[in-house]
Amino acid sequence: MMTLLKQKEWSPYLAGALLGVVYILSIAVAGIVPGASGAFENIAGMIAQAVAPALASNTYFKFVMPPGISWEVILFAGIFVGALVSAKLSGDFKLAAVPDAQWRKVFGNSVWKRWAVAFLGGIIIEYGAGIAGGCTSGLAVGGGLFLAPAAFIFMAGMFGSGIPTAILMYWRKF
Amino acid sequence: MSDIVLPLVLGFGFGWSLQKAGLGKYHKIVNVFRFTDLAVLKYMMTALAVAMVGVFALSTFGLITLPTVPATYVIGNLVGGLIFGVGMAGAGF
Repeated sequence: MMTLLKQKEWSPYLAGALLGVVYILSIAVAGIVPGASGAFENIAGMIAQAVAPALASNTYFKFVMPPGISWEVILFAGIFVGALVSAKLSGDFKLAAVPDAQWRKVFGNSVWKRWAVAFLGGIIIEYGAGIAGGCTSGLAVGGGLFLAPAAFIFMAGMFGSGIPTAILMYWRKF
Repeated sequence: MSDIVLPLVLGFGFGWSLQKAGLGKYHKIVNVFRFTDLAVLKYMMTALAVAMVGVFALSTFGLITLPTVPATYVIGNLVGGLIFGVGMAGAGF
């Protein structure tokens, strides 16, 4: 058991099955489909209320994603701790400015380049998730398990733009 | 109390499974769009299938009521997905 917990990587099928159990528990006990992107919007709303209240007084923050420490924000804290404990236990944890070998090989060691892409990418992801009504977890998996059309339309869009983006970024190395 | 403990515990399992699947790593995310590593799809679809079986079994036996399913809003879902994919393939989150 302990060796399994300390493994750096599980088969994606095993890890996915665990996530499936998390979804079942969440839906059965809390009646909520878990999602990761909502927390950012709740927190962004709180920051907007504190810094520029005018920005927070629109329909979106009033009705769709109210600011505050929501269920999703606490879930998000749990996600952070779970991933941290998993990484620490397996010795997979390290702090690095440009952590990924594949990125360094293709795009070089520049820190600002990686951070700029990560920052911009983060904005784009959250913006897209806001429009679509969820992300890979809350909409694609959380809706897909009910065979909701929204989930499959979203996944089609995600791959429809993700593949060309990867082709453009990798070009000859694709 | 359970409003705090439950999401923390569920989140712990969520984050743990993501980390163990290696999905905290840039190359795992971007390579699904290059068709060189399909871990993201294997992970997502296994979770989807397991959750589907569990949730509908519980609901068939009348143990739970199903939550509201995400609304279909073709333009929003599609355009949101298209924007989302650019960020996901670019940043590798």
